[in-house]
Amino acid sequence: MGLVVATKMIEIRNLKKYFPLKGGFFNSKQADVKAVEKVNFDIPEGEILGLVGESGSGKTTLGRSIIRLIEPSEGEILYNNENILNFKEKDMRSLRKDFQIIFQDPYASLDPRKKIFDIIAQGLKIHTGLNKQEISNKVKSIIKEVGLQEEHLNRYPHEFSGGQRQRIGIARALVLEPKFIIADEPVSALDVTIQAQILKLILDLKEKYSLTILFISHDLSVINQIADRVMVMYLGHIVEVASTKQLFSNPKHPYTKSLIATAPQIFRKNENKIVLKGDIPSPINPPSGCVFRTRCPHASPDGKEAKIEMGLIEVEPGHWVDRCGANCS
Amino acid sequence: MKNDTLLSVKNLKTHFSVGNSVVKAVDGISFDLEPGKTFAIVGESGSGKSITALSIMGLLPNNLESVDRGKILFNNQDLLTLDEKEMRKIRGNSVSMIFQEPMTSLNPVYDLSFQISEAIMLHQNKNKQEARKIAIDMLDLVGIPEPQKRIDAFPHELSGGMRQRAMIAMALSCNPKILIADEPTTALDVTIQAQIIELMRDLQKKLGMAIIFITHDLGVVAEISDTVMVMYLGNTMEIANTNKIFSNPKHPYTKSLIEIAPQISEHKREIKVLKGEIPSPMNPPSGCVFRTRCPHASPDGKEAKIEMGLIEVEPGHWVDRCGVGCGN
Ligand SMILES: Nc1ncnc2c1ncn2[C@@H]1O[C@H](COP(=O)(O)OP(=O)(O)OP(=O)(O)O)[C@@H](O)[C@H]1O
Ligand SMILES: Nc1ncnc2c1ncn2[C@@H]1O[C@H](COP(=O)(O)OP(=O)(O)O)[C@@H](O)[C@H]1O
Ligand code: SF4
Ligand code: SF4
Ligand SMILES: [Mg+2]
Ligand SMILES: [Mg+2]
Repeated sequence: MGLVVATKMIEIRNLKKYFPLKGGFFNSKQADVKAVEKVNFDIPEGEILGLVGESGSGKTTLGRSIIRLIEPSEGEILYNNENILNFKEKDMRSLRKDFQIIFQDPYASLDPRKKIFDIIAQGLKIHTGLNKQEISNKVKSIIKEVGLQEEHLNRYPHEFSGGQRQRIGIARALVLEPKFIIADEPVSALDVTIQAQILKLILDLKEKYSLTILFISHDLSVINQIADRVMVMYLGHIVEVASTKQLFSNPKHPYTKSLIATAPQIFRKNENKIVLKGDIPSPINPPSGCVFRTRCPHASPDGKEAKIEMGLIEVEPGHWVDRCGANCS
Repeated sequence: MKNDTLLSVKNLKTHFSVGNSVVKAVDGISFDLEPGKTFAIVGESGSGKSITALSIMGLLPNNLESVDRGKILFNNQDLLTLDEKEMRKIRGNSVSMIFQEPMTSLNPVYDLSFQISEAIMLHQNKNKQEARKIAIDMLDLVGIPEPQKRIDAFPHELSGGMRQRAMIAMALSCNPKILIADEPTTALDVTIQAQIIELMRDLQKKLGMAIIFITHDLGVVAEISDTVMVMYLGNTMEIANTNKIFSNPKHPYTKSLIEIAPQISEHKREIKVLKGEIPSPMNPPSGCVFRTRCPHASPDGKEAKIEMGLIEVEPGHWVDRCGVGCGN
């Protein structure tokens, strides 16, 4: 067998998102919320790429920027070798069919006034030229795919449990036969037993429909179950990227190490783990140099990390770590 | 009830009337709490964990259905027989509680000084200045930096983790023998969760209180508890020493929970699932409440007629009667 080079679904180049903070006398710009700092990565076709990090690290902003639900400040998003940030609204609209999103909160993400049928059918009406009958057939078939029944289509969101609503959210995304899905904490609001059901559903559907998925979660155990590769994010920066196996067996960055060491586990009682101190700093005023230095257990006492320039380097094939994380500790 | 039991819950039932129906939120649970130990209650949403806690605290809504509620024995008295005034005394001095969402239990319009001092003045007979000083010490104890300054902060000025620390400070200010913590870390990030768990362990070592720790996360159970109770639909399915429950679970529900819990130690095992959802407590299955989801339920449906109840399979390890005979 020769070398197989996986086709890339999407390529992210120097993608940055700052939210301007306005206020004061002239409602002028006061500062920026530096949510995502020039990140670079690719997602090969058919991959589930996990994105993990604490709340506020920029996961949602990054995910939404990729499909332009949030307009990035800088950078390129290459899809079929074209930078979609140059697309006009009309071209974007056809793209929206290929790119779908599943949200964290199954309560807030479904319009309470609409019947399930209309919620799922809406995208088909906007994006396809299908007639009524064809739309109806598609909706009826997808609702079964996600483990619900045709009779559910006539009901309203409030009649469903959290897990069922998440299934509806998945049906709404999948009915358009997308190529790429952003799943933003799709199981975080669910009970463990329902969480397992939804994860299994996502995996099964991924195989069946050859999907590519960016799977966002703050829960490393979930990421370990579902992702092929993992990116670890901290304060707008990607500090480590590796295959799931590499990341969990051989974490390099002090932040990754501490996340893995502190995740509560059934069959591991480690009394003397290193618990990170303090909170994640504000992205309005992030630490200079290594952004992790204010919480890093290995930060040097002379504070030299304040002057380090961040950036990923490859430490073993396919395993990238922030430059500072690779040299230190 | 053993000699060293601090709190003993016996066949506790908390039923609510809603319209013409009855919600059996807690339907006959029993457990003992030992002094200085941590007792975890784990179970899916709706299994009755919070209502168990609120029953002990005497903080239930008033749509209670009158049934034989069992007993909650503490200090030789049955808390269920006390009136509101006597219960208030218990809550101020012996048993206190922290809640899942700190914003709902910290009052947003008052600063920390007022909220913590108030509790201290009410229950400990201290004047304003003394109370403020104790409050500052408490904030220091729970690891809030610059407590002299933070004491005047309002809840919204604190991060989630700091608010949870403030809650703990408030709950501990009366020197309770029992601290009930209802999912105190569920809304927090892993690193902050680890900080709070570490803090609670340290405080328990220092102050010696017993903790009832409610969670739905078995990983957290493993980290913090000595003993664990698994609840489902208002019933106790299993109680055991924490190591025991993971090494030798008996009840099919406990086994399922352990099997499906995502772990970071083993990569990409296939995802195991427990089918279905927890039924409504308005209309629980007859007989074994778990039978509608149990992988070992018998095809002839004989579990519909089983009577539930705990039996002790080895010292300190209790399993629902049905869980023992069945499903190997
Ligand atoms: N005042 C009430 N009236 C009627 N039903 C109630 C009342 N309070 C709680 N219940 C019901 O009792 C059951 C148990 O509730 P409880 O809050 O104890 O669950 P829990 O195990 O704490 O769940 P979670 O993990 O979601 O916090 C639920 O079905 C709930 O809807
Ligand atoms: N519309 C917005 N305006 C200003 N700041 C924002 C906005 N959306 C997100 N942020 C900030 O950007 C940072 C990253 O947020 P987010 O992407 O939601 O993180 P995560 O999903 O990892 O929790 C946070 O500090 C958040 O408060
Ligand atoms: S550069 Fe220093 S502060 Fe940053 S991750 Fe490495 S050891 Fe920690
Ligand atoms: S009695 Fe039957 S249904 Fe109930 S737990 Fe045992 S095997 Fe399952
Ligand atoms: Mg988010
Ligand atoms: Mg609860």
